Amino acid sequence: MSVAVDALYIFDDHHNCVLEHVYNGRPPSAQTLISSFTSRPLPRPSILQLSDLAPPVTAYSISHAALLLVATSSKDAQSLAILDFLYRLVDVFEDFLGCPLLANKIEDNYEIVAQLLVEMCDGGTVCNTEPNALRESVEVSSVLGKLFTQVGLPGSSPALGPAHNFSSTLRPTVTPTTGPAIPWRKSNVRHTSNELYVDIVESLAVVFAPSGRPLSARSHGSIAFTAKISGVPDLLLTLAAPGGTNSDKNSEILRTVQLPVFHPCVRLARWKDSPGELSFVPPDGRFMLAGYETDLMPSSLNTDQPPSKSDKLFLPATVDLRPGLGASGTEFEARLTLNTNFPGVSSMGKSSTSRSGSGPISSLSFGGGSSGHSHAPSLEAIMVTIPFPGDVRSVTELKPSRGEANFNTFDKVIEWKVPTKDGASINGVATLTGTVAGPLASADAEDDQFEAAEVGKSNTMAGYYEDDTVANRSEKQQTTVNGNNGATKKAHANRALMPRSIAVSFNVKGWLASGIKVDGLVVDVKKSKGLGDGVRPYKGVKYLTVSRQGVERRVS
Amino acid sequence: MDSSWLQHADPNQARDLTVEAAQVLGISRGLKGGSSGRTISFTKLKALLDSRSDRELLEGLRRVISMMYQNKPCLPYFSSVVKNVANPNLEVKKLVYLYLLHYAEADPDLALLSVNAIQKSLTDQNPQVRALALRTMSGMRVPVISQIVSLAIKRGVGDMSPHVRKAAALAIPKCYSLDPNTLPQLLDYLSILLGDRQYFVVGPAVQAFLEICPDRIDLIHKHYRSLVKKLVDMDEWSQLATLRLLLFYSRRCFPRRTRRVTKVNKKGFYEDERDETVETNEVIQVLDPDLELFLNACRPLLRSRSSAVVTSVTSCFLYLGTPEYLEEGVGPLIGLLRGPPEVEEVALCNIVLISLSAPDLFVPYASHFFLRAHDRPQVWRLKVELLTVIFPHAALHLKSIILSELEHFAHSSDIELIRESVRAIGRCAQSDPQNAHRCFRVLLNQISSFDNILVSEVLTVVRHLIQQEPASHRKTVVRLARNLDRTTSPEARATIIWLVGEFASLDPDNNIAPDVLRILAKGFADESETAKQQIVLLAAKVYLLFLQREGAHASDEKDNAGELQGGEAQSAQTSAILDHRISKLWNYIQLLARYDVSYDLRDRARLFKALLADPQSTQLAALLLLAPKPVPHSPSPSESRKGLVLGSTTLVLGKDVVGILGLPGYQELPAWVEDGHEPDPKLRDAAEGGEKEEYVPLNARKTATVAASRRLDAAVKEQGLEKVVAAGSTRAHGKQRTLDDWLAESEEEEEGSDEGETEEGESEEEESEEEDSEEESEEEEEEEEEEEEEEKAMRKGLMS
Repeated sequence: MSVAVDALYIFDDHHNCVLEHVYNGRPPSAQTLISSFTSRPLPRPSILQLSDLAPPVTAYSISHAALLLVATSSKDAQSLAILDFLYRLVDVFEDFLGCPLLANKIEDNYEIVAQLLVEMCDGGTVCNTEPNALRESVEVSSVLGKLFTQVGLPGSSPALGPAHNFSSTLRPTVTPTTGPAIPWRKSNVRHTSNELYVDIVESLAVVFAPSGRPLSARSHGSIAFTAKISGVPDLLLTLAAPGGTNSDKNSEILRTVQLPVFHPCVRLARWKDSPGELSFVPPDGRFMLAGYETDLMPSSLNTDQPPSKSDKLFLPATVDLRPGLGASGTEFEARLTLNTNFPGVSSMGKSSTSRSGSGPISSLSFGGGSSGHSHAPSLEAIMVTIPFPGDVRSVTELKPSRGEANFNTFDKVIEWKVPTKDGASINGVATLTGTVAGPLASADAEDDQFEAAEVGKSNTMAGYYEDDTVANRSEKQQTTVNGNNGATKKAHANRALMPRSIAVSFNVKGWLASGIKVDGLVVDVKKSKGLGDGVRPYKGVKYLTVSRQGVERRVS
Repeated sequence: MDSSWLQHADPNQARDLTVEAAQVLGISRGLKGGSSGRTISFTKLKALLDSRSDRELLEGLRRVISMMYQNKPCLPYFSSVVKNVANPNLEVKKLVYLYLLHYAEADPDLALLSVNAIQKSLTDQNPQVRALALRTMSGMRVPVISQIVSLAIKRGVGDMSPHVRKAAALAIPKCYSLDPNTLPQLLDYLSILLGDRQYFVVGPAVQAFLEICPDRIDLIHKHYRSLVKKLVDMDEWSQLATLRLLLFYSRRCFPRRTRRVTKVNKKGFYEDERDETVETNEVIQVLDPDLELFLNACRPLLRSRSSAVVTSVTSCFLYLGTPEYLEEGVGPLIGLLRGPPEVEEVALCNIVLISLSAPDLFVPYASHFFLRAHDRPQVWRLKVELLTVIFPHAALHLKSIILSELEHFAHSSDIELIRESVRAIGRCAQSDPQNAHRCFRVLLNQISSFDNILVSEVLTVVRHLIQQEPASHRKTVVRLARNLDRTTSPEARATIIWLVGEFASLDPDNNIAPDVLRILAKGFADESETAKQQIVLLAAKVYLLFLQREGAHASDEKDNAGELQGGEAQSAQTSAILDHRISKLWNYIQLLARYDVSYDLRDRARLFKALLADPQSTQLAALLLLAPKPVPHSPSPSESRKGLVLGSTTLVLGKDVVGILGLPGYQELPAWVEDGHEPDPKLRDAAEGGEKEEYVPLNARKTATVAASRRLDAAVKEQGLEKVVAAGSTRAHGKQRTLDDWLAESEEEEEGSDEGETEEGESEEEESEEEDSEEESEEEEEEEEEEEEEEKAMRKGLMS
């Protein structure tokens, strides 16, 4: 009743069944399920009631890396719980089978997959989804093969079949402990090199009004932790927020780390007492320690007064678009403004033109203690996306001042990639111009005598939202203005072909939008067990800010 | 949730994916070409399975499992696989068990042969083996072994290892589905497991409880506090089950109590002046201490990484707690929107539901609800709704931003989005009358747009708004009428004209309708057909109103003038009417319509002409033309989902998809128990500190039955029904009795009893008769059964 999964299916991107596992009852076969599923119009909601099947079922689906995972249930269930289960399943599969989860990996390791499925969900009741706990009960026969794929040797991929890895499977099984002391950490962990890595990744979600002022600006952060350390370590990770002096440090942290969620290993009481301190016994391997969000808005929108001055919000890349240019109003100009003068980064970092941190891991050790050793943040993978209305036939005469731009006729999207590694200075403005071509049969020139009325900016405070018009126009004025407005219907039709928004994607390594810093990572020697004397684990920190079309500008 | 983080964490993943996919593809292609393909001949595989070497055996089993998942026939290997069930190697055992779970149903007889070996494993030294065996045995879908499974669970319940106890808890629902008759035994086991010391045994026990007997809350009383205490330590899935259990439990056990807020008025400076306590009208909810214990234990779970747990906790706060609790839950719920799109969509459904009852709580999070360009329809629909729901509670600046935002999307290229945002503006106006004028201005500015879809949608919304509150929208109609000059869309013009006509009747003395009609008449020929129809209708209405007014005038005059000159006055009046400008206008419009190309229009005109032919009798026409229109109401789209349980799938799908009752297994929230009807709170004290002491379910049950029987006795005494009962019990003993005997006996009793009791005796007689006939039918059944048995015996004899 609470969480009852009847069956689980995994399909590849051609909707071929990769895996079908029945937990309970008589669920429909994979073929009938997928045919009913695909008959629903796109985009499909994540929860679908397939009432045309013989026993009507509810299908919960997620898509992950070209795979479609579907869980079915014939009874009412907690909707989010089943979606959670599917995501947890993906995590576990990736942990056991290697990171990009592919159909082949599942097909080649059915015996592992089968054991995992039975362990994780017993007769429809979800019971064990901790990767560490599963490690104790599920044998991974191809440990060696997995190791090699991670290192990157293609020859020993598990696809070669289990026959090669027999030596490793016949080792004596670990005798399980009578009761798990810590449910998320497996016992008897041994590592020769002890390493700890903290990866803080923030994903931007910023929307600008046509006036250029921010409507919402958030940064969604997640802290990924990798613990490769022996025994049962007790760790303390301290975060620091920018701008806080010692006295109001706590409030700064609480303002920066909003709505946090934590892995069960984190001691919540400690966080409550002294925000910014994460005290925990980590699971073995990589896991998500915490998630949070930061509101980057300079001022609250929920006031009765319009904000007086323009608010500052630093972003390394912003975009703007001017529609309806040219004689017939079919041209547009997109502008991309890049700015790598990151606030809070020492001037040394700013001036250095050679970015040494271009490698995939710009980890730093805590030896020096200060964060001044940070490499200059590097802005990469910039791509501007301009979605067009469905009526647009094509966009021609694309002229980017930097990089290259393409119009995708299927999705009606312009993708404009701007390289950042060509040696020239990144900062500055890049432009892209183009001409929009509408549908062929758009020549219905009849009602030309009717004057087009410019859309009035009527509500009293719209000045914040749309800049270029007088905020509070009286009605009379408006009518007279409308009378003299020379725009024809044709121009209006062209205006309807203009994009309504423009977005930019990018990655910044070594910089976080929220400004959070890892202040320290300490292994509590007194509370830890099994960590040899004098062992000083290597510690690394990585910051990354990404925008997946996360910086969006509305176009009026 | 986790994996989404991972996605963000690894920007190179997409590239890795393609590289590795290509790699793997190449390898598999190579494999298929080579000799070591995946397919293997039947005999070869069978030889592997029969091999004595563990290594070969494992290889064989792996291949069988693979084939099983490839949907290739594996049944032929059944015996070869299953005979390995007693193999001491754990790895082999696991694979054989997997096979058994999958195929036991297909060949139950052979599967039964393996049961013995599995039973042996139940006593293995290794707890992992014991747990595995228990899981496998209960998972085999062979109903015959239900009793054995039940016994195995009994053994598991008393096991030393918590892992085995956990497996036992998980086996309970499976055993129940094998054979529901095992329920009484299972309940015994369950009540032991619910009191287990280990939280990860209790969790699955709660899950099993919800599965097999969610209504037996009497089993929970003792464990309530320990469940609350263990809640934080459990894994997410157990937390979910426990939260749900405790939500239902609390509704049934803690009556909703409220009290008035008392305020102390310090009256004076001196001590002898007493303070005055005043009851205010504010009513606050008083929480039972046990309920508060639970709610406070939920709090840390709001930081859970599991979106389902966060939603569950919020639902507990919503359905059990005070507004302060709910306020705490709102933030974490908003935090779910960071999750992957699937979670975002479902979380939004839940947020909308809460926002309908407490919109003000969501105002601070308004920026989360602004639309993104790449939002899917399911998501932006809910976001637009949320923006409208919080609109009346937002501050001025935010209100203007919400309006601008909706206006922006009213110009989008997606028809659905246009429609939805315009309607949203309408709902904003409806829910916030003080700011309705702004919404109106935004809407009216769209009327002259060239986008026909937008204009017609706007006018529909405007019309609804005006109809809801006609009195306050006189000016709006005037403005709309003024817009006629600039509006090109035929539907829009038609709607405006209709509105003008509708308003003419509201305020007949002071209206613009005749003027509008006059102007429209000039350009009649150039109008579209729909507009022409409305013009004719408008003309009819204007004329009718004119007639009514004149009629009222006339009747007033008539009273004054007396009846003698009645006929003369009437004819004079009629000519006056005919000379009036409005009559002329009406005639002109009629003339225009009469020679129109559209027959529909001509017909309409004719109808109105006939209706209004006689200036004296306008009743029928008034009935037809001035009938009050039903006021359209446009509720928030999710309004229909109000009342559905937060977090359930039924909520996400909506009742129009899943039917009125919701999905199977959907349960409405139980109503709060009435004060005085709740179970005794002391029941929960019973197990206080009892975590260590052994729980003895049988005793408890005995006392319960004793109590029940005693109560019954008391009731019987009270009612004076002892004799009936006695008679019943004697009857139960005496077997061979006929109806006549019964009648005789009851007569005797009747005679012996007092006169006052005769009525009772009669009723008693009736009862006994009924019972007797029942008994007879039972006897008949028995006879039939006997006959059947005889038949069976016969058949057997024949067969042998």
